[in-house]
Amino acid sequence: MTKYVIKRVGMMFLTLFIIITIGFFVLRLMPGSPYSDEVNLTPEAIAALEAKQHLDKPLIVQYAYFMKGVFLENNWGVSITMRPGMNCFDIIKERIPTTLALNVLALLISIPLGIIAGTVAAVFKTKMPDYVISLLVVICISVPSFVFASLLQYFLAGINGWFPLIYNSTGNVQERLTSMVLPILALSFSPIATVCRYLRGELIETMSSEYMLLARTKGLKNYQAIVRHAFRNSMVPLANVIIPMFTRIMGGSMVVEGLFSVPGIGGIMVDSITARDYTLTIAALMFYSFISVATILLVDISYGIIDPRIRLEAKN
Amino acid sequence: MADLKKKVIDIPEDILNIPAEKFEFAQIHNTIYDAVPETESRGFFKDALVRLKKNKASIAAFWILCAIIVLAIIGPSLTPYTFSQQFPEYVNMPPRVPYLEDMGIFNGKQVLTNRRLDSLEDTSKFPEGSVLGYSNPHEVRGVTLVDVEVNYYKYVGADDTYFWFGTDGMGRDVWTRLWRGARVSLVIALAAVLSDVAIGIVYGSVAGYYGGKLDMIMMRICEIINAFPNVVVCTLCILLFGSGIPAMILALMIRGWVPTARMVRAQFLRFRGREYVMAAQTMGVPDYALIFRHILPNSIGPIITRTMIAIPNAIFTESFLAFIGLGLAPPEPSIGTLLSSGQKVLMQYPHLTLFPALTISVLMIAFNLFGNGLRDALDPTQRGHE
Repeated sequence: MTKYVIKRVGMMFLTLFIIITIGFFVLRLMPGSPYSDEVNLTPEAIAALEAKQHLDKPLIVQYAYFMKGVFLENNWGVSITMRPGMNCFDIIKERIPTTLALNVLALLISIPLGIIAGTVAAVFKTKMPDYVISLLVVICISVPSFVFASLLQYFLAGINGWFPLIYNSTGNVQERLTSMVLPILALSFSPIATVCRYLRGELIETMSSEYMLLARTKGLKNYQAIVRHAFRNSMVPLANVIIPMFTRIMGGSMVVEGLFSVPGIGGIMVDSITARDYTLTIAALMFYSFISVATILLVDISYGIIDPRIRLEAKN
Repeated sequence: MADLKKKVIDIPEDILNIPAEKFEFAQIHNTIYDAVPETESRGFFKDALVRLKKNKASIAAFWILCAIIVLAIIGPSLTPYTFSQQFPEYVNMPPRVPYLEDMGIFNGKQVLTNRRLDSLEDTSKFPEGSVLGYSNPHEVRGVTLVDVEVNYYKYVGADDTYFWFGTDGMGRDVWTRLWRGARVSLVIALAAVLSDVAIGIVYGSVAGYYGGKLDMIMMRICEIINAFPNVVVCTLCILLFGSGIPAMILALMIRGWVPTARMVRAQFLRFRGREYVMAAQTMGVPDYALIFRHILPNSIGPIITRTMIAIPNAIFTESFLAFIGLGLAPPEPSIGTLLSSGQKVLMQYPHLTLFPALTISVLMIAFNLFGNGLRDALDPTQRGHE
């Protein structure tokens, strides 16, 4: 097991390394230096600024400086237009809590809802509730989260005024939470549907197994058998659906944060693209890469724990 | 039992006592043929089609898809306008469709807030017949202000013009732009997915057929590419190459071929050791023929399914990129750019968001439903999974 984990962690660092390298080269290969748009700077001033950022040195030396900065000094380069002169790492750092709160809350409310819907669909298999839930699942999985976000914003915030139109970052805790409701809702539709569809399939398969028949034979009521036996066995593989779902929620939250003006990393990424602050864009992308790669690592390790056959396969 | 006995007894005496030399072999001089099946034989695709037809939702989805594709092809030419033609005098017009307007929908109705009540009679401000009604009268500094409901087309003096889905902030016809955008989105998605599948098939076949060290190295490469988050790859690609249609297709391709390659490889691993493959190999069939003629056709079902599932994902990614500011450069529309520009004026002009949002939702739902139906039809053993 240890060997397997070490191998996976090594893989993760290799991936991150490649992504950071590609990010660096994309940044440097784009035409013009970060300061070439500045009209009120003298050429000398630009040269001095570039020298300070090591931009006057050969590409390979720049690369070494960049890597050293990223891995040893938490220095991801300097923001150019959004917050001039500020270290991108610090900008990202102060926005992590908001983004994480939004995404984790979305995940936390969608898991129980998805489990409930999935169980109802499985218990009432091929009956009315099952069909209704299946239809909703197809809609929720297909329709993109930003369409849901627009709908919620228009109807619940604009027409009815139940919730604020955009995120309220200055209010007290209660105001902040109410302004978070719509973005969280918009993000939750697809995960709810994913959990529901997966659990329905698993439960139906489990419910036709022989130990369920035994449980019923020994006198358990149907709901007892489902809760005590079928449910437990279906929950184990669910972990492997929920963890990668988090990456998907994070991706959706990029747009949704922008729509609701949430001061998170997604918002700053959209803004930095519009403002052509590419250093900041790449820093935000690195954050997403880290989350995604860490998620994959978690899935691989949890697979290894749940199903030892995969561990063996990796060893051979 | 009783019947049987009765029958035995019922056999007439002369039949029971036929002499042995009268017997002869009935078919000793005839060749014996297998009976020709009375029903028509069904191949793989016909079989799948029969199963697909039983799935009502998929068939409905298929016709909806056809309708959207037809509209994407002919839609823009149904109006007298082009997608980039601007009418500065007709900005943000509400939707209006002939005939439908008589039924109370799509009638070019717009609510103008805070107008002076006494100006309603003034035909220089509100032309004849343009005012449909008013509500919410309130007093501000001695003047009564009302929210006036007008026929916006009469209001701006364009009674004989029809913009079916209205116009956007630059006075461009939304119907024309929407279907042109749908066409662009579909073309991008289709091109990306087809190249994905082509690369995936070749890559997966080679890895799966030759196996060993080569397979290991190729699969490691896949694993590394797969670990790149999609959003990051697409964003970097578009930052580097600019936001044109080719760059968009490339961005979608970089990571898109990996699942197909993996699936094809798995199929090859399954079929490589089969007897019929070994027999062909012994007879000296070259590698490429073995790969493409003998083994690959086994994975045709999963490949079709995979293509159908990948198209909506590509459409989604395209509009996602438009939303984070990396969409196609104007004036070329795509569903994503229409949505994201409409979203900015959602509260004032909801029709600019409504139509693209509806189109992308219906398109995604139809593709997913049809894809699921195809999967069940092509591979019945997979039914009910996921």
